[in-house]
Amino acid sequence: MAAAEPVQFTSPGFPSSQMDAVGQLVEDWGAIGVKLSGEGVTEATPAVAAVKLDGVVPAAQAVSRHGAVALTLTAFRSPAFPAGVDVLTVRVEEKQGRAANVTVALDLPAKAHAGLRTVRLGGRAVLTLPPREESGEKARDWGHCDEASSLRGWAKPAGPCDPAFRNIRAGMGGAPILYRFAVRPKSEANVVLGFCESHWAEAGQRRLLCRVEGAPSQEVDPIAKWGRHKPGALLFKARDEDGDGRISVTVLAATDAKDKNPILNVIWIFPAGPPPNLNQVIAGKLNTVATRRVEVGGENDQPLYPGGKLEYRLSLAARGSQELTFLAACHGSVAPIPDASAWTAETLRRAAREVWRDWQER
Amino acid sequence: MNPSHHHHDCHCCISRRDCLKFLSMSALGAGVVGPALSAVAKEKSKYANPDYVDVGKLLPCPEVRMAAAIFEKPRPYWLGWPGTTYDLDARQKEYKAKLADSSRRLGIKTDLAPNPINDEAGVGAFIEKIKAEKPHGVLVILQSIFCWPWLARVTKETGVPLIVFAPIGVAFTGHVGRISRQPGVYVASTLEWSAAEDGMRMLRAKRMFEETRVLWIRGKERNETVLDRIGTKVRAIPRDTFNLAFDKVPATVEVRDVASDMRRHAKRVVEPNSQDCINSARALITAKRLMADEKANALSMDCLGMVSAKLVPTPPCFAWTILQDHGITAGCEADLYGAMSLMLTSYLLNRPGYMNDPVPETAKNLLIASHCTSGTRLRGFDKPPVPYILRNHSESALGVSTQVLWPPGEKVTLVRFNNKPGEIIVDTGTVVSNVNTPPAGGCRTSVEIKMDKVEDCRDVLGFHQVVTFGDHKRIVEAFCQLYDIKPLRSPERAPEPEVKKT
Repeated sequence: MAAAEPVQFTSPGFPSSQMDAVGQLVEDWGAIGVKLSGEGVTEATPAVAAVKLDGVVPAAQAVSRHGAVALTLTAFRSPAFPAGVDVLTVRVEEKQGRAANVTVALDLPAKAHAGLRTVRLGGRAVLTLPPREESGEKARDWGHCDEASSLRGWAKPAGPCDPAFRNIRAGMGGAPILYRFAVRPKSEANVVLGFCESHWAEAGQRRLLCRVEGAPSQEVDPIAKWGRHKPGALLFKARDEDGDGRISVTVLAATDAKDKNPILNVIWIFPAGPPPNLNQVIAGKLNTVATRRVEVGGENDQPLYPGGKLEYRLSLAARGSQELTFLAACHGSVAPIPDASAWTAETLRRAAREVWRDWQER
Repeated sequence: MNPSHHHHDCHCCISRRDCLKFLSMSALGAGVVGPALSAVAKEKSKYANPDYVDVGKLLPCPEVRMAAAIFEKPRPYWLGWPGTTYDLDARQKEYKAKLADSSRRLGIKTDLAPNPINDEAGVGAFIEKIKAEKPHGVLVILQSIFCWPWLARVTKETGVPLIVFAPIGVAFTGHVGRISRQPGVYVASTLEWSAAEDGMRMLRAKRMFEETRVLWIRGKERNETVLDRIGTKVRAIPRDTFNLAFDKVPATVEVRDVASDMRRHAKRVVEPNSQDCINSARALITAKRLMADEKANALSMDCLGMVSAKLVPTPPCFAWTILQDHGITAGCEADLYGAMSLMLTSYLLNRPGYMNDPVPETAKNLLIASHCTSGTRLRGFDKPPVPYILRNHSESALGVSTQVLWPPGEKVTLVRFNNKPGEIIVDTGTVVSNVNTPPAGGCRTSVEIKMDKVEDCRDVLGFHQVVTFGDHKRIVEAFCQLYDIKPLRSPERAPEPEVKKT
């Protein structure tokens, strides 16, 4: 296998991406590098070469041996409509016959912001991540795990109310707002979401779809229901339905919303049982009863995962291997958003195979 | 053999004959538009042309593999539904025969477990087999009210689309309610086997989407991509490919035959002359050859741009009518999701759709669906066509387009991929009348529709919706659920009127 030459790859009719001589995937928005660490893991320089997957799909592959483990990076372009997506597979294999714990760290451009499943750069989704829950990375008890933005002092709540209504998180570009709260598995809770719309004056603009795990979804148009600058609240009988010990809260734009940017001002979690009086909740008079009160976008807000490097901890059996798949935006495209896309590593590979199989240059 | 190549030279596919019967019956029966092509197919030697393309062979003919099993509890039955008096052997014999018949007619390779499965171990083995063989779908025939928990295992552990036939006597509402609304599942709780067959039709339609390559004729680019979720390949080719190819198509015997039949079967011919019909037939031959050359099964073209630039003497409207009547998706204005919506009616409902511009008729509160091409075999590819009038293209006064006369009083369904593969708008209504041009302007086929459950015609969602004959809302919504596509409907209530600010 020849070394130290960059390798280009593409899909029919589109500009190329490249894997450089040190195995970094180079895109129009920056480069992605992969580093390994762990006991018995050493530094190594990869051999980079062009390969054909399934006999027809052009790809780049970087292979390196890091002491106890071998690393293989494979990148190909999948022709996902409309402009494709680059699929980067990171395969780590134990080579010395002893179980090993290895950390895979991603090197990304400095301004990249990692959410739960995507990395964004300047508002563009540039990378789709494997599920963070499987990364071994320790999550906090609660926090946001989305690509929304915190906007302090955005709302102008009229009348006496909990001061938390002044701040919001906003899902610019249609990004959903997503929070998770640790609870006893399968337990129930009363969840109250607080809203205050201070941008629109007319109803029918920012309709919101609110989903709280275990409770029926609710759609709300804050202006139609409460009016401009008027704090309002919705109650959900929540339950940890999937038993993962977390209750998820999602706010997104309703399908027919003209303004696709969802907002959320406050979250309260109350014990299960009789529902809290919403007027008192809005007034902030039940804050001491709440098991959790989040000033969304405000001072006591926090991300679910602490900052720092994007890392995945792999536990490898002796001679065993694991793979991580990342989907990178290529020239003219954005990375697939998991909630809105059905693409999988398997279907992306099949798409590439079928397109190359029947393609003829003209 | 690669399934996507079947339309070119396949002689090996065991379901080929059934595939063509199912999808291209218009070429086999008597009708208005069909006979020309039927005759062409039968009299291929008459044309002695190596470039001749049989339109029926453009259809995708995918392999569809389905695992199937009967779930029952250990015999003998004593109390509990379906009850001691239920004749298990007789019912199972009946349903096995129906399954075999549906599989044969739909060209589905069904692998039925040899014996009914009646315990957890058997379910586990069935699941492992599915995981190993990865069929395109699973069908379970339920024969006991106590087997429902096994279905949850099958869908959760395999992730393969699941069709459940639960004949009356094996379920209460509580059994059906939740799982029947779960993504990846379709439950038919009925004695009607046709409902189970609808599920099999969904599997087949999905595979047809996956094996279809649609030519996207627009702009100057040449590339190929694949649509998320439905898997259709989209091959973009430069727009001038079509007009350059059109220029090379002479008035062959085939062209003259198509043109002649076009006029002969029309209820009336208003504007087009013989040369217009010849040119329209040349557009059909051009389209067929392009699809064959590019290994494609469907197309959507920037026709309006070509007419605007005067690159062709006729828009392809009538050619598109003929293709649509043969199950081949031929979409207007390079609207990709409009074409995908046409494909949905063809592959799932076995009938052409009619992509249109939506116009509100506010005096009568009706929706007018208006465009210059529509299929004529509205009731199904194997059913007789409805009458049509030959017109010119109204916006340009060029060539040939079709005024298809939709029968008043008939139910229709409106579908539209909502500019993404993950959402489909589904509405229903009833045909009220056909609007003539003149006195109206706009497009030649123009159909007034009274919408169901839409208070105000101005609120109908979408543009270039596809109208198709019959009320198919439930089957389209079931297809959506089986493949995790979100169904949308137009708002039932009109918005509150805006109040003038003082």
